[in-house]
Amino acid sequence: MVTSRDTSANTHFAQAPEGLTTQEMVLNMGPQHPSTHGVLRLVLTLEGETVVECTPVIGYLHRGIEKILENRPVMGGIRYMDNADYLSPMLNETAYVGAVEQVMGIETPRRAQYIRLLVGELQRIASHLVGIGTYLLDLGAFTPVLWCFRDREGILSLFEALGGSRFNVNYMRVGGVLHDFPKGWLAECEAFLDTFEKHMDELETLITGNEIFEARTQGVGYIDPQQAIAYGLTGPMLRASGVNWDLRVNRPYMAYREIKVNPQVRQEGDCYARYKVRIQEIYESIRLCKVVLDQLPAGPISVRVPVALRPVRGETYFAIESSKGELGVYFISDGSEYPWRAKLRGPSFVNLQLLPELLRGHKMSDTVAIMGSFDLVLGEVDR
Amino acid sequence: MHIAVIFGDNIGTQLLSGIFSWDFLQFVVLLLSAFGFVMTSAVLLILAERKVMAWMQDRYGPIHTGPWGLLQTVADVGKLLLKEDVHATRTDKAVFLIAPAVFLAPVFAAFAVIPFSPYVSFPGTALATGIVYYVAMSSIDVVGVVMAGWSSNNKYSLIGGLRSAAQMISYELPLVLALVGVVMLTSVLTNSGIGTISIRDMVNYQSSSLWPGKGIGFFDFVFEGFTPWAWFFLIQPLMLIIYYTCGLAETNRSPFDLPEAESELVAGYLTEYSGMRWGLFFLGEYGNMTIVSAIATYLFLGGWSGPGVAFLTGLHNPGWGFLGNILALAYFAVKVYALCFVFIWVRSTLPRLRADQLMQFAWLILIPITLGNILVTGLIYLIVNALGLPTIIFLIVAAVINWAALIGFVWVVRRATVATTMRAQAPAIRARQRVAAAQLPEQAGVGGGQ
Repeated sequence: MVTSRDTSANTHFAQAPEGLTTQEMVLNMGPQHPSTHGVLRLVLTLEGETVVECTPVIGYLHRGIEKILENRPVMGGIRYMDNADYLSPMLNETAYVGAVEQVMGIETPRRAQYIRLLVGELQRIASHLVGIGTYLLDLGAFTPVLWCFRDREGILSLFEALGGSRFNVNYMRVGGVLHDFPKGWLAECEAFLDTFEKHMDELETLITGNEIFEARTQGVGYIDPQQAIAYGLTGPMLRASGVNWDLRVNRPYMAYREIKVNPQVRQEGDCYARYKVRIQEIYESIRLCKVVLDQLPAGPISVRVPVALRPVRGETYFAIESSKGELGVYFISDGSEYPWRAKLRGPSFVNLQLLPELLRGHKMSDTVAIMGSFDLVLGEVDR
Repeated sequence: MHIAVIFGDNIGTQLLSGIFSWDFLQFVVLLLSAFGFVMTSAVLLILAERKVMAWMQDRYGPIHTGPWGLLQTVADVGKLLLKEDVHATRTDKAVFLIAPAVFLAPVFAAFAVIPFSPYVSFPGTALATGIVYYVAMSSIDVVGVVMAGWSSNNKYSLIGGLRSAAQMISYELPLVLALVGVVMLTSVLTNSGIGTISIRDMVNYQSSSLWPGKGIGFFDFVFEGFTPWAWFFLIQPLMLIIYYTCGLAETNRSPFDLPEAESELVAGYLTEYSGMRWGLFFLGEYGNMTIVSAIATYLFLGGWSGPGVAFLTGLHNPGWGFLGNILALAYFAVKVYALCFVFIWVRSTLPRLRADQLMQFAWLILIPITLGNILVTGLIYLIVNALGLPTIIFLIVAAVINWAALIGFVWVVRRATVATTMRAQAPAIRARQRVAAAQLPEQAGVGGGQ
């Protein structure tokens, strides 16, 4: 199943002329490196500029989040989920509280579900913006990243108005959400979405038609659909390989049972397709946000749960479509105030497995092009 | 012993008379002013780059140091001067220390042939081989880069240095060949049929010709010596584009900044440098930008010519002549910094090429096109000459063909990009067909769900 087409194409590098010997070079890329997106370390074996072997070394950002969750009351653990995939805290929290609600059999009010969807989609936009911006920075384009961060700033400001904190929002609660919208927030959100849509068109004009960008990404880092499934890829990575799989559609949860999502799929399977899927998902998220703003139901934002929450004894697996893919929480409760175990299935961690396989035979410049298209968040890989 | 035999007793006298001679004094003053110009230009460009990029990227740029952040670069240079000169262990010390100087010296040296206005210039501008000298100087830069890359004892530096060697040598060729086209034009314009590679003469060819003569006062004032319709970029626009592209590659600027590709090679050959040694590389880069823009201005945009320059200097009055020279300096600066602005603009717009694409672009596209341009220009000249037609016909025909070639060039580059992309995509396309046949997505049983 694993193809070796790239290595075979580059075998002539090994055949040096008579009397000359070439030597492979081992290059430590990271953990302190501008484009390893945090603290990933890649041990690259290079032959000239061609990658022969790649070994990712992870764990530099390990903070033991899963262990911390076992040592905090359920409600206290929500805040630590923010730090797992630090680019999409809202979605992480949703996964965790969703798992607890599932094991307790709580159905959240409709309004809470809609709010979760709204902030979740905003968070997806923010995460994809960082993904696209840093990807372009990896490819050497300086401007997109700043435009992306400018718009992400708008989303973070909305979160600040909503939950009091820009980054570690700590907004989800078992049974609902923390606050209802403050006065004027919805109008602000709508205004933001309108300007943001214009900014997105601008960004696309800058990047998408660019020949250099296309030459750098099209046909680079091709992932076979079968390979993608075999390695358990999820999210934009999987959909860019032509596999139509989106948990929001295929296993709808919460408000996604009522609001239909158009999954964004592309067939090429290369870096360009992964970039393009993210762009399309941003547009789709804007649409979803606008739908939610139109249809927001009235009612309570939370069900009453006891302050000292004791989930019933049991275990469950709850997965949501996070910005990077399937973010699952395997939650085991022994009936006490503390989870007995909360295992995270992080999309970045699973997606990272494919990297060494994919890099083999590519040029060193393509290393960053491919790695950037994975949109890794090391906080979630190392947890 | 030997020295005394050769020079006799008056060696001291000879040296002293050499040092205190008028020529030497002039040389020192000009050297210092060249140094001052490069430094000021670099400092201004660094600030301009940060401000212009900030403007394009919807942010402020430096605002705290001095009014509008004007003193930011001054503060930066001060910081660099005060920093410790760090050497990594096991560097090749002598080479490591001398590399920044080897990089920076040719940049200063190249300024020797750069005239700033009809009268303000270094003695070197009289050099009849100005363009060849400039090209020679800009080729030496690569030595400094390779030395830096090799001596740093760092793998990123090594890769950066070697990439840079390959890149700068490859782009040297189309750069020179693009200039040859312009040199051929000058040989057509003279009566003798012998062209020039002196920069000053190049400017004169573009500014003094093709204005019929004295007549109405105001038009004389504006158009005497200012004939934009005779600027060579109208006749050879494609060569300007190619020269400028190669200039980007020569100065290691985006999108050809692979040697110092931040996202891959950390800082390329600069990785192990810090303090003022790093600053020297930085100044050299910006000095190079100025020179590339200046040469493009001379050869394609009429140099310092502009409304009023030739008229005022032609009055043979010290006061008006001085004003004319100031005007010339201003026009020159405006043109040079407009081209520098394009450098900055390009940097904030384009991503970076891959090393093999870079080579492909130089050897498969730029060099054949520039060679073809030389051939076509020569052929047209021969044909026009054989038919006994006037020079203006030659210029018009050459211009039409070159403009057509420019459009063709853009088309070819687009096509080449698409073609390589399609070739690279072939496996992906095959797989897509396979997927369509097998209807794979429906079986996508990714484990989990609820």
